[in-house]
Amino acid sequence: MPIHEQSLIRPENIKSHEKLVLDGVDVSGHWSTFIAPRVVTDYNERLEEEIAALPGGEHIHRCWQCGSCTNSCTVNAVNPDFNPRYWIYLVRMGMESELLRDKEIIWQCVSCHKCTYACPRDVVPEGVMKATAHWLELKGHTPKSKSMHFDEEFSEQVFATGKIEEGRIIRGFFARTGQPLFQEWLVEMARRIARKFPIKLGLLMGIAALIRPRTRGWAKARDAISEYVEEQQAKQRDALGLVELASSELPGAATKRPRDRGDHGADDVR
Amino acid sequence: MSQPILIVGGGPAGLAAAHALATVGQRSVLVEKEQRLGGAPILSGYAKLVPSGEWAKDAIGGMVGRVESSSLVAVHKGCTVQEFGGEPGAFKARLSDGAPLDIGAAILCTGFTHFDSVNKPEWGFGTFPDVVTTTQVEQMISSGKGVRCPSDGRKPQRVAILLCVGSRDRQIGREWCSKICCTVSCNIAMEIREALPDCHVYIYYMDIRTFGLYETSYYWRSQEEFKVKYIKARIAEVTSDGKKLIIKGEDTLVKRPITIPFDMVIHAIGMDPNVDNGALARTFGFALERHGFIGKGNSYGALGETSRPGLFVAGAATGPETIDDSIAQAKAAAMTAFALVSRVPAAAAA
Repeated sequence: MPIHEQSLIRPENIKSHEKLVLDGVDVSGHWSTFIAPRVVTDYNERLEEEIAALPGGEHIHRCWQCGSCTNSCTVNAVNPDFNPRYWIYLVRMGMESELLRDKEIIWQCVSCHKCTYACPRDVVPEGVMKATAHWLELKGHTPKSKSMHFDEEFSEQVFATGKIEEGRIIRGFFARTGQPLFQEWLVEMARRIARKFPIKLGLLMGIAALIRPRTRGWAKARDAISEYVEEQQAKQRDALGLVELASSELPGAATKRPRDRGDHGADDVR
Repeated sequence: MSQPILIVGGGPAGLAAAHALATVGQRSVLVEKEQRLGGAPILSGYAKLVPSGEWAKDAIGGMVGRVESSSLVAVHKGCTVQEFGGEPGAFKARLSDGAPLDIGAAILCTGFTHFDSVNKPEWGFGTFPDVVTTTQVEQMISSGKGVRCPSDGRKPQRVAILLCVGSRDRQIGREWCSKICCTVSCNIAMEIREALPDCHVYIYYMDIRTFGLYETSYYWRSQEEFKVKYIKARIAEVTSDGKKLIIKGEDTLVKRPITIPFDMVIHAIGMDPNVDNGALARTFGFALERHGFIGKGNSYGALGETSRPGLFVAGAATGPETIDDSIAQAKAAAMTAFALVSRVPAAAAA
C-alpha cells in the first residue's frame, strides 16, 4: 500500500479489553479500545553510518527525499510497498524498528539501476538497497540470501584456485542452500546438452572436474585478495558493532566477494 | 557644488551608499541611531558571513573604517532625523543633535528588526534557557566561546534548528519568507558540526530555500560533508522533562508524530520590518508596503525609489535581504540620488 494511503493505526497497536476495571469502575465493552501511540521517541544515530559503511551505501547521506527513486522503480511498479525513498529516510533518521518491518521486501531490488539515473543527488539508491539488504543479513535479521550463498561459493573457488569450474559451483551452491543435486530441470538440461555436446569438450570438462586445475602462481594473488577481503570484513564488523560476522567462513572466503562495480552476474540467481 | 545626500542608517547598505557617493566626490550625511556604525552584522555580533565566510567584524568593519575616514561623509552617531521636508533637490532636515541640514536627496537604509521569538511562546524561547536564536548562536561563535548550552555551559550533543520562526506564519502576521534563514541555518549547522563533531544537528523545515548558488555550498554541503540531518516537520511545541528539551511535531515524510529530546533548540529567526518604520514613515512621508516594510517604487527604471520623489531606499528596509544584495541596492540608490542632486546645483536649490 502506498505510504500516503496507509492507515495511521496499526492493528497491533489497537488494545481492546473484554473486561476492564479502571479505578473500580467497570469499563468493559468495545468502546474501551485503546490505541498505542506510534510516536518516534529517539533516533538511532548509528544506523546511517552502518549502512554507509557497506558497499553501495556510501552516498546515502546525500538524499533529500524527492522520491525520484521510488517513482522510477521497477519493483515499486508491481509492489507499492517497495519504497526506496522511504527506507533511505528510515535509515538516515535511524528508525530501525520501522525499517525491520519491511525486511522481507527490501531484498527484492532487481538492480535495474533506473533509480541510479533518476537520482538528482547521485545517492545511488540501488547501492543503498544492496547495502541495506546486506546489513539485514549481517545483523541476523534475515537469513542469508541465495545470491549471497552463490557469491560465497563462487568467491571461495576463485580464491582457492584462481579459476571457476561451473559444475563445482552449482554443486556447492546446491549443497549450501540444501537443494538436491538431481533436480528435474537440471537433469533435463544436462540430457539435452549431452545430446549435441562435442566429445572433446566433454572430455576436457571431465578432466577439469577430476583434477581441478589451478592458475599457475596463484598463491600470491590469493594472499593479496584474502588480505583485502579480511580487511574489508573487519571494517564492516567494526562499523556494525559486530564481534564476528554472522557468517564466519573458512579463511579467505568473503561474505561479500570483491568485484567490479556494475558486475551483477551473481545477483541474477535471485 | 551639489547638495549633500542624507543617508539614514549605518548598516551595510548605508555604508555602501556613503562610500559609493564619496568615490564620485559627492558629500553625504550619514545618520545612525546607535552609537556605533555597522548595522545588524556588527551590533548583533554576527560571526562568519554568507557567502564569503569572512568574519563580520572584518568585512563590515572594513566598510565602517573607510566611511569614517572619508572627508566627504559627515557621520552623526546616536542621532535620528526629527524633521524632513521640502522638494527633491531642496530638502530640509533637522537632526536630533540639533543640526539643521540642507540636502538634495535622502536614502533610507534603515534595515530590519530581528524577529522576537517571544512571540512564538509554544517554541519555548524565554521559558527554557537552552532555547536560543540564530543571532545568539552567531554571538556564541563570534565571541570565541563556542556553542554551549546557556543553562550550564555544557557542549550540546543534540541540537535542533527550527526554521521559519517568525516567517511564513499568518498566525503572527508575518507572511513573508525571510529569505536568508535557511542559508544561515545551514551555515550555523556546519559551524557546530565542525566545532563539535560529536554533536548531532537536526534541521526541522517546511521547505529549504537556500536560493541560487547557496544550494550546493550550503544546503548540499551541510548534508554531504557535515552530515546535518533535515526533517520535514513544523514543530508543534518545545517543552522540557526537567533535564532535556523535548520537541514535538510530525515527521511528515513518514507520517509519524515525533517527541524527541534535544540539548539545545535554535530558532532561525526571521527579519521583521524595522520597529521604527511607522515613525520613519511619518517623519519622511513615504508609504509602507503591506507587510510593513518600506514600499518600493519602480522596480525596473530608477532603482531604489520610494513613494516620495527624491527619497530613496535600499537594503533590508524594503524586505528581507542579504548583505551583498543590500550593498548592491545601496549603490544603485546612490547612483539615482547622485543623478538627482547633480542636476540641481546647491546655488540653484537655495
